[in-house]
Amino acid sequence: MPRLLALLLALQAFGVGLVHAKEQLLEVVVAEPYLEMHSGPGRGYPVVYVVGRDEVVTILYSRTDWFKVRAPRGQEGWARRTDLALTKLASGEPAPIPPYPDFATHRWELGAGYGVFNHQNLVTTWGDFGLTDSLDVEFVLQQALGTIDNRYIASIGMRHTFIPEWRWFSPTAGIGTGYQYIDDKVPPKPLQTSNQLAYVSLGARGFITRRFMWRADWRKYVVFTNQNQNEEPEEWKFGLAVFF
Amino acid sequence: MEIRLSSVLLAAALLSGCGWFHRGEKAPAQVVAEEPPGEPSIVEPQVNRRVVKTPKIKAKDFELGGYFGALSIQDFGTNPVYGVRAAYHVSEDIFLEGFLGRSKAGTTSLEDVFPDITVVSDSGRRFTYYDLDVGYNVLPGEIFLGRGRAFNSALYVTVGMGDVKFADKDQFALNFGMGERLLITDWLAMHLDVRDHVFETDLTGRTKNVHNIEATLGLTVFY
Repeated sequence: MPRLLALLLALQAFGVGLVHAKEQLLEVVVAEPYLEMHSGPGRGYPVVYVVGRDEVVTILYSRTDWFKVRAPRGQEGWARRTDLALTKLASGEPAPIPPYPDFATHRWELGAGYGVFNHQNLVTTWGDFGLTDSLDVEFVLQQALGTIDNRYIASIGMRHTFIPEWRWFSPTAGIGTGYQYIDDKVPPKPLQTSNQLAYVSLGARGFITRRFMWRADWRKYVVFTNQNQNEEPEEWKFGLAVFF
Repeated sequence: MEIRLSSVLLAAALLSGCGWFHRGEKAPAQVVAEEPPGEPSIVEPQVNRRVVKTPKIKAKDFELGGYFGALSIQDFGTNPVYGVRAAYHVSEDIFLEGFLGRSKAGTTSLEDVFPDITVVSDSGRRFTYYDLDVGYNVLPGEIFLGRGRAFNSALYVTVGMGDVKFADKDQFALNFGMGERLLITDWLAMHLDVRDHVFETDLTGRTKNVHNIEATLGLTVFY
């Protein structure tokens, strides 16, 4: 029972509650001759209902490019973003259908990808916050899986995008610092299992579609050890990200 | 004297600082009507400007849920597997998905025939994995149940990578999957998935790629 309760609480926290607070929904007026409602959120789903000009539709929520709407007589269906963008508010202003974030000036980014760290397979994930259009803070969490050891690397750094308005390809460069933790697979044990590190990076990014983008990065690390020599591993990676 | 001077300067600096913070806002207009004595005061209308707030449209692009099924661990038999999954739908075609799952391996046929031999320790039989995938809805459509019911659905393929921890070792794994998403309602979906986790191992003597295929049934909610 406590488990069930905990699950319910967790679901509530994710907004999937059984009881919904009455929320305000956006209502828009059809300004074009008609608005088509499809049976599903996709280009292939058939049109099942049509709302005429000057009729009011209620927007329930969105999924990717599609918006679930309710017609005046209660029929529900999915309308395309580009069609809804042509509707108006009751006051006559254009409907506030959120556009996609502009790639050149986006603020947040979340991504994941594959790479090679010092001849080891690398799984990488990152979060990125743009301070300006060309300067971001990047947080990277990655796991390098090798035959001798596994490494967990967490780093934070600054990255400069040289020409942010170039959509398809714009070069980047960055510096940063972080920590690595070594989990050895075969003996002998490493002399140190956690080290601080610093890096310089060169890379590129580009727009794919909507809020989807790619990133490629090469990094040169200096791993600070308590021995005579520091380790200097290299890394390259490629990943996909969504931006907000 | 010096202290007094510096404290005055500090006070001035603080005051100017306050001014700095308020520079975006308008100072509250303090209109003090100067009333000549004896005359009735003019009533100032107190009408607040109505702020029209347009409601925001909720985006339901995230999908979260769990799954349960069977995982065939190569050389170690087929065993129950369970896990959680989360997805973000980028467009009607593309989505990004993450999985976290676990299972427990059985015994190899070698261990069955010779009970004294153990290939993997008991704790090493835990099979846990995470995956980061990109998925593509190849065949979106509708599934009809009788005359009056239609469910939106999509057949999708996924490809990705992650980590498999088996025999107390983490291995880099690639995974390839195919699944069917059936939307029971617009926010509740049922998934049927088949996924292969491929990684390199030398557990049974020689280094080889092992295929660990799982078939699962899942339930997710969109929010």
